[in-house]
Amino acid sequence: MRSKLLLLSVAAVCLFTAATSRAQTYAITNAKIVTVSGATIDRGTVVIRNGLIQSVGANAAIPSDAQAFDVNGSTVYPGFIDALTNLGIAAAATQQQGGRPNGGGGGGQQQAQQAAPASNSNYPAALRPETLVDDEIRAGDPSYDASRNAGITTVLTVSRSGIFNGQSAVIDLAGDSVSEMILRSPFGEHVTYTTAGFGTYPGSLMGTFSALRQMFYDAQRLQTWQKMYASDPKGIKRPEADKSLEALFPLLNRQMPIVFNANTEREIVRSLDFIKEFNLLGVIAGGQEAWKQSDRLKAMNVPVILSLNFPKRTAANAPDADPDPLELLRFRAETPKGAGRLAAAGVKFAFTSGGAAPADFFANAGKAVDGGLSRDAAIRAMTLGSAELLGIADRTGSIEPGKIANLVVIKGDVFGRDKFASHVFVDGKYFEQKEPTSNRGARGPGGGVNPGGGGGGPQLTGSYNITVEIPGQPTTGTLTLQQDGTNVTGSLNLGGSVSPVKGQATAGGFNLTSSVTFQGTSLNITLNGSLNGNNIVGNIDSPAGAVSFSGTKNP
Amino acid sequence: MKKATAYYLMLLLLVAGLRLPAAAQSKGQDVLIRNATVMTAVKGTMEGTDILIQNGKITKIGKGIAAPAGVKTIDATGKYVTPGIIDCHSHTMLDAINEGSLSVTSMTGTRDVLNNTDITIYRALAGGVTAANILHGSANSIGGKNTTVKFKWGHPIEDYPIADAPPGVKFALGENPKRSNSQPQPGVQPRYPQTRMGVIETDRDALIRARDYKQQWDDYRAGKTKVPPRKDLELDPLVEVIEGKRLVHAHGYRSDEHLNLMLLADEFNFKVATLQHGLEAYKIAPEIAKHGTGVSIFTDSWSYKLEAYDAIPYDAYILWKNGVVVSINSDSDERMRRLNLDAAKVEKYGGVPEQDALQMITLNPAKQLGIDKRTGSIEVGKDGDVVIWSGHPFSPYSRVETTIIEGETFFDRQLDAQHRIDMAKEREALEKLDVNRAPGSGGGPPRIPAEKRQSERDRSEFGEDDEDGGGNNR
Repeated sequence: MRSKLLLLSVAAVCLFTAATSRAQTYAITNAKIVTVSGATIDRGTVVIRNGLIQSVGANAAIPSDAQAFDVNGSTVYPGFIDALTNLGIAAAATQQQGGRPNGGGGGGQQQAQQAAPASNSNYPAALRPETLVDDEIRAGDPSYDASRNAGITTVLTVSRSGIFNGQSAVIDLAGDSVSEMILRSPFGEHVTYTTAGFGTYPGSLMGTFSALRQMFYDAQRLQTWQKMYASDPKGIKRPEADKSLEALFPLLNRQMPIVFNANTEREIVRSLDFIKEFNLLGVIAGGQEAWKQSDRLKAMNVPVILSLNFPKRTAANAPDADPDPLELLRFRAETPKGAGRLAAAGVKFAFTSGGAAPADFFANAGKAVDGGLSRDAAIRAMTLGSAELLGIADRTGSIEPGKIANLVVIKGDVFGRDKFASHVFVDGKYFEQKEPTSNRGARGPGGGVNPGGGGGGPQLTGSYNITVEIPGQPTTGTLTLQQDGTNVTGSLNLGGSVSPVKGQATAGGFNLTSSVTFQGTSLNITLNGSLNGNNIVGNIDSPAGAVSFSGTKNP
Repeated sequence: MKKATAYYLMLLLLVAGLRLPAAAQSKGQDVLIRNATVMTAVKGTMEGTDILIQNGKITKIGKGIAAPAGVKTIDATGKYVTPGIIDCHSHTMLDAINEGSLSVTSMTGTRDVLNNTDITIYRALAGGVTAANILHGSANSIGGKNTTVKFKWGHPIEDYPIADAPPGVKFALGENPKRSNSQPQPGVQPRYPQTRMGVIETDRDALIRARDYKQQWDDYRAGKTKVPPRKDLELDPLVEVIEGKRLVHAHGYRSDEHLNLMLLADEFNFKVATLQHGLEAYKIAPEIAKHGTGVSIFTDSWSYKLEAYDAIPYDAYILWKNGVVVSINSDSDERMRRLNLDAAKVEKYGGVPEQDALQMITLNPAKQLGIDKRTGSIEVGKDGDVVIWSGHPFSPYSRVETTIIEGETFFDRQLDAQHRIDMAKEREALEKLDVNRAPGSGGGPPRIPAEKRQSERDRSEFGEDDEDGGGNNR
């Protein structure tokens, strides 16, 4: 009986192993290999086995059991890293937290209860540094797809809500479970300059600083007190087991970095002042004006997770509007040059999409190159440099034998709009990519694309459930489209507000305009995106900034 | 071709964009102002007089001073020079004004949210203001810590606070802290206190807590307890108040409340540094003089709210007559630029002598803020904080020509005219860039004019509270 059981379990293990080990050996041949850590190989082979890079070289042998991909001179890069995202966090849950209660009925209350899980913390929800993003993300979340399909294999992800956003994790964008996806957790404690909300302390930016400062002082004291008590409890009042304050111990002990979301120069200065005040390991995220403080960043050895979501004007102003302020015009012109200036000053940095669509992540890295950054440095800031900043450079970030097989094959210029990630490997798992039809033809009119005709462009007609990644308030909605030739009409329902949309079907996607009301303000927006199977991804540009959206077609 | 042109423009802009404001260029320059009518604010008005400023300090005042080598000379023939104006009550250059969530928020401070890119700083300089008391708002009984700054436009933020200025904290009395002008938010419990007696109770309670807290630390330092007490950022500043190390700037209108607060201060053995607003302080002028408290007022604005109903234009005069140190403040980014005319009104209503009226916007606020050893008058040894006027500063036809702080020029009318031309050119070039061009046609909603946003912020002081404090302005 007992041996039978054993036999059964052995069989089960074998079956399981067989299922997961199927086709785990691949060879990418005939490729230009940008190893990042070493010299670029003009034509060679990368062999992947059991999730790792087995060999790399001009003459690397192709194992007999390998599935080989002749990529015809395309370029292999290490899987790209987006050094700060909110991927994997169930949009609905976050929306409940960040959203405003509508009508204040019982439903809203129920939502609030779901959003803020019971916690015995002594602090309001906005000030709970013990929160782990591990507990918030889900394996197989649809938000991973757009990034991974573009060649981003690895991201740092963290919640958006709260002053303390909680502790972030570095994850690979594939895996059947969260534990399988994690490369490093926690990475750091993230802070956003926001408030605890109306009528709650801290209710102003001024209060946010004093509340943060008080918590760090309290954590210092609790740590001292706990040590005293541990060494001899007699005659000492028992210190509290305060998990919110205890979560700050690794920060005070310089074992974990504090990551401040800071874009303007003064936010960066305030962050650096705080880092100095408590002698913390600091990181600046966003960093649009970080170049203005490059000397101090360098001196304090504070790296920057630099946003590639560059500001740009997205809509014409009304005729009677004030002209854009000069400082805003300067800001838009200067921001793409920031990376080059940080590099020249010797400040370490890694690129983040900053919420922009993956296509912009790559195209804007190209703009940073136009703005004075070397091409190699730009690639590095999306691969090995990023891995170094995130503390995973021993495992990934470059193409070296023994490292995790996070790889992407890029056809065309990696910074070009027409680039195509033909093969993506995450942890050695192969994700086949279908090249959009449009990219094969010549660009522009007469390029052989006939969206209305048989099989040329995508058929957009249908209804899509989408999530718009508004920072701090991801919002779900419905996009309904009706395609007639190249003309597209329809409606966008966002947070209950319905607005008509119209525009054109383009090669592989669509280009639409609309005017929406968001939080009481009317905004002219444009929607650009593409449809791949049932998956829709794209960007919404508005005067308030650009955000990405993604979703699926309703059957 | 088009791309190449854009790239060339970007290169041009790189150079233009990195150019520092003119203010920063003149740093460290010694300056000799020649042949001016100098209103010293202490020793009367001196005709045809020179002022030499070296290493930021006034080193000589007199006739026919020889210019040392390398000193920049400004001919001020026919012009007036006054000390830099000091505004004893301002909320300018702040990203948040009120932490209104609690009744006592002395843990907060304006230093954390100073914004040195706020254009109102430059506009204040154009009105001759060189220093200001940057205060927390009046939404609660005890507000946050203040910052006493000099308006060093173009400098990094750490250059703004006056390092040796004594620290202060905001107290508030009356309508604002008891929330009589704000609508309760649905679902939010109304905040205690709701009455004037509740406000003074909140103050007393906080001071008692501070006294107990100080005792805890004294016991710990004396070895009576093992575990160090909590460092309480709310009570630390109040301990300093009790110890006389931190100035209390108390917003209030009704004289009974100001009197009540002074009695409370007597109870805890400290002096209130300034009664802010105090539009009916004339009713208790002898009591104020006896307590040794300063009063910082508006010269008008009577009756703009119920508790300002008994304001009279002779307030400053009566206080002055009773020996009270009086200053005139703006509490407004816009009115800050015309404090010289507010001082002129004091001369008109009651006949305060010219020099005493001038002191109310220069030396007296310096005394109230504890910075009179370094600024507030034109005397040898003081900081070179001076303003050159086109005519008499109490005339509405006079304009500020040059504003100098510690020898450095931060506003100059001729430079300003040149900047306007430069910026118009820069704008023209920048607007041609792709990033600054609107895709397609159509028009969004007009931007809210900056002036309108500003006036919304100003209202916060007058009861309509800026509960979220402005927060992140993006």
